Amino acid sequence: MTVRLTLPQPWEEISHTADVGIAARGATPGEALARLVLALGALSAGGGAVEETAEEEFTVREGGDLAGTAVAVMREVLFRLATRGRIPCSCEVLSLRPGEARVRVGSGARDPVLHAEGADVKAVTWHQARLEPEGAGFRAQVILDV
Amino acid sequence: MQLRRIHDWLWEIPREGGMRVPGRVYSDGMPDPEDPALRQVANVAWLPGIVGASLAMPDMHWGYGFPIGGVAAVDPEHGAVSPGGVGYDINCGVRLVSTQLSARDVRPRLHEALAQLFRDVPTGVGSSAAIPRLSPRELDAVLVQGARWAFARGFAASSTDLEHCEEGGTLSGADPAAVSDRARERGADQLGTLGSGNHFLELDVVAEVFDEPAALAFGLVPGDLAIQIHSGSRGLGYQVCDEAVAALAPAMSRHGPDYACIPDPQLACAPVRSAAGRDYLAAMSAAANFAWANRQVMTGLAVRALQRALSLSEGELSARVVYDVCHNVAKHEDHVVEGRSRRLLVHRKGATRAFAPGDPRVPAAYREVGQPVLIPGDMGRYSYVLAGAAGAMSDTFGSSCHGAGRVLSRHAAMKRARGRSIHRELADRGIEVISRGKKTLAEEMSEAYKDVSRVVSVVERAGLSRLVARLEPMGVIKG
Repeated sequence: MTVRLTLPQPWEEISHTADVGIAARGATPGEALARLVLALGALSAGGGAVEETAEEEFTVREGGDLAGTAVAVMREVLFRLATRGRIPCSCEVLSLRPGEARVRVGSGARDPVLHAEGADVKAVTWHQARLEPEGAGFRAQVILDV
Repeated sequence: MQLRRIHDWLWEIPREGGMRVPGRVYSDGMPDPEDPALRQVANVAWLPGIVGASLAMPDMHWGYGFPIGGVAAVDPEHGAVSPGGVGYDINCGVRLVSTQLSARDVRPRLHEALAQLFRDVPTGVGSSAAIPRLSPRELDAVLVQGARWAFARGFAASSTDLEHCEEGGTLSGADPAAVSDRARERGADQLGTLGSGNHFLELDVVAEVFDEPAALAFGLVPGDLAIQIHSGSRGLGYQVCDEAVAALAPAMSRHGPDYACIPDPQLACAPVRSAAGRDYLAAMSAAANFAWANRQVMTGLAVRALQRALSLSEGELSARVVYDVCHNVAKHEDHVVEGRSRRLLVHRKGATRAFAPGDPRVPAAYREVGQPVLIPGDMGRYSYVLAGAAGAMSDTFGSSCHGAGRVLSRHAAMKRARGRSIHRELADRGIEVISRGKKTLAEEMSEAYKDVSRVVSVVERAGLSRLVARLEPMGVIKG
């Protein structure tokens, strides 16, 4: 069973000299990944509220393992953010396995005033990308080039 | 990491494991052996075809694949090209524009000048629409022509802009067909925009001159106002690099065991002569040209903004591009290695070309003194103009440092800025800042960076470049 998550969700920032790392946890890999998507949303919103005005489903077929597939999902989300100004504010990972993921993402328009403190993310890197068991659940993390 | 001292400013990482060459790190004192960037210097030494050494400049810090401040030259016949050796912001670079205005005369109207610049040069996250969105055909022309495209449309400081730009503002070998639709979509409406993060537009005063003949040749007069622009290829370049790493990383084993064994996925690479390598270079060159066009458009916008704000004619402002350097690029260049001229592919990631006096690739007006090397510091202290020197040609494939280098993470900088007004602290030092967000100011505060004067002193001691002038900020625009 999949769960639709909405902002705000718990996530943590990973200290990194040049850039920004984000990490999130979940009971399942999908839940961890959904929270990671929303962490990107929170970072991009810079504390401003995001009103959901659109929802979209997409599929990625990349990545040799769960971490690589997670990076592929994040890259798709970033592309939509960078080109259409859509900040993710809800996320449901409909299916996830190494090499393929189907995701439903709700988003709102980036507002230059409301979201002025948001980060300008250039890219999702593969460095230290993880989606793996940790403790009783799963941890997802990526380092973002800002 | 094991380090062997060569000089006080130069340390070697001896070859071990799969390293084909040693690492050589220029540094202000012994580098911290625990610095993860040193592992990256060592990893770069695994690249097939690498020549001489894997180099790091004194502003070295951790990057993706290559360290920031990394330089690596490869034999293009047998060697590898790595997008990590260029970076996500392809042709991020700096442009310096001189004027004949006295900074003292401008100071009473500094706010008006900055406000006009802030209005006219789009800045910040998602900034766009400096000029009408480019049609596919126009974008193709930008990707091939670079700064020339913008210059031909009247975005200019003076007639010598292109002459005073690395590669004349146009890298040959660009192929618009190698740039994906996604990269085009990310960049099509971003031409002429500054971006955010560590990008900036500054009004500086030429505070001190160290080398009078070079300063005279560069047109830098103490007390004069100058403009610095630091920006790159925006979303188009980021997407080109992103797609290249995604394509090259899983395919490395196809190129043989020399590639399969490379220790870091962000060091994804392909033979220069392979289809993948050629495609990347063609797209990278196109993105580099986009960045030069970007800085050329912003030059035009900035010059017009100053004229408008200060009610000056073109002649009264007398703006002129001193030089434009790129910090993130891979280029085919001729260098002398062990007494023999060789054509090499030189990766510079957070490093600046620094060609010496007499080199025919230096603009005629500067050939006697050497190529200008522009080294921005942080927004609260100073930047430097240097000139390329002979040591760069013999030791670093004509390369020098590029900036200050971060010492604090953004997170740590935000923490340290809590309860402080960075804006007020700068104002107290006579520096006015306009930025889109407060967070950027905290992230970019001076304490987050090394002192660039220490960085440039290393390259001077090492003979890579020599000091010409120091610039100090009066007004700063940040995204």
